[in-house]
Amino acid sequence: MNPLIFTTILMTVLLGTMIVMMSSHWLMIWIGFEMNLLAIIPILMKKYNPRTMEASTKYFLTQATASMLLMMAIIINLMHSGQWTITKVFNPTASIIMTSALAMKLGLTPFHFWVPEVTQGISLTSGLILLTWQKLAPMSILYQISPSINLNILLTMAVLSILVGGWGGLNQTQLRKIMAYSSIAHMGWMTAVLAYNPTLTMLNMLIYIMMTLTMFMLFIHSSSTTTLSLSHTWNKTPLTTTLILITLLSMGGLPPLSGFMPKWMIIQELTKNNSIILPTLMAIMALLNLYFYMRLTYSTSLTMFPSTNNMKMKWQFETKRITFLPPLIVMSSLLLPLTPMLSILD
Amino acid sequence: MMTYIVFILSVIFVVSFVGFSSKPSPIYGGLVLIVSGGVGCGIIMNFGGSFLGLMVFLIYLGGMLVVFGYTTAMATEQYPEVWVSNTTVMGVFLLGLLMEVMLVLYVLKSEEVGVVFKFSGVGDWAIYDIGDSGVFSEEIMGVAALYSYGAWVVIVTGWSLFVGVLVILEVTRGD
Repeated sequence: MNPLIFTTILMTVLLGTMIVMMSSHWLMIWIGFEMNLLAIIPILMKKYNPRTMEASTKYFLTQATASMLLMMAIIINLMHSGQWTITKVFNPTASIIMTSALAMKLGLTPFHFWVPEVTQGISLTSGLILLTWQKLAPMSILYQISPSINLNILLTMAVLSILVGGWGGLNQTQLRKIMAYSSIAHMGWMTAVLAYNPTLTMLNMLIYIMMTLTMFMLFIHSSSTTTLSLSHTWNKTPLTTTLILITLLSMGGLPPLSGFMPKWMIIQELTKNNSIILPTLMAIMALLNLYFYMRLTYSTSLTMFPSTNNMKMKWQFETKRITFLPPLIVMSSLLLPLTPMLSILD
Repeated sequence: MMTYIVFILSVIFVVSFVGFSSKPSPIYGGLVLIVSGGVGCGIIMNFGGSFLGLMVFLIYLGGMLVVFGYTTAMATEQYPEVWVSNTTVMGVFLLGLLMEVMLVLYVLKSEEVGVVFKFSGVGDWAIYDIGDSGVFSEEIMGVAALYSYGAWVVIVTGWSLFVGVLVILEVTRGD
């Protein structure tokens, strides 16, 4: 793609999300979502093969339906409250429709079916933008309407998402689908605590974005999209095997790493509100996630995976230079001792 | 009948939307798009917006739809699909018609039935009064406000249209 056009379209994706996050008028928010959707389609379709076109079409259809539902909720809200400003949505019908629309945009269950298929059909860099940047805009709207969301629907969707994200990722060997199911599960964790303490949703979003960025960049660095090709990294750059180990365990939520911080805070916040069964279930279902991360680390870092003999002596080509990878790796694994700094978020 | 003219026009509006959403060939889609554009213009005019209605006719129907019609005529196939030629298309059209009929009955009989939200009679669709102060027209003031207080909206929508063209060209360019 022409570099000037590519830059313009990428800046429009950024502008769309910025408009969504900074507007006070519902119509501008809808315009921001549409601008974001329109501009990300050619980015998803950077390579012109039928897989990317199918993935972009699926993404466009689901997100356009979600925007239509959002517009309907906005109009019902206008009908009953007579104003267009972003506050909590007073009418329960509008609130439910808006929650469903934003859940479709995020990829929460039962609207999660597009996430693995779209993520698998596009390149690694586009998948990175899809799973991190595109989650910011709907989450910011959920944050702003959080006092009025129906708790039953939200918690049902959250728990089902964690379950589907864990269970669905168990049978996968393609790395992009694994990241997609991991995204579904993390979105479930984020929305579970939304009604209790929305600050923790933002914390979880921040740490999730850092960890997903790190994982995708490590995949891009070793140009691997399947578990099999990831298991050859011991031969290409042995250092990245250790980094993949640390980052994957951090994504699974293991204690001394920073991925534990959001899960710990969320469970604490939920138990403070006298729900004990729910965080127990959520923590148990996060084990499913941990299982397939550990399977990846087993084949990548902990064992020398069986391969043919000429795979064991790879020619070292020029290494790709990945921006910001060292700081990202540090941030996605060592942030746990900074947990007391959370008090500044209030 | 004139008090219910907006309601009648809105029903025709929805039916023509169903007509092109059931995906016949684009030529026939353009045909019902003309009807829906004209009817939409009628709805806006009944609320006192003569300027905006004329803009729909001139710019939307007379500009964009004409270009659409010419490009579709260039790309059309030998036997374009009508609504009755394909079972799927006819099924979707009839389903949409049925849903609209149910909705109309629900609106008209809103005293007895209430599903998710109640319509208060025909409500806003009945015109008793235009609603402006009589000194200046409301909708011309709205257009003027768009370019003064609403400058940010103009910038955003203008940029979206520009990027829309870029995106479409990029997507259809191929390799």
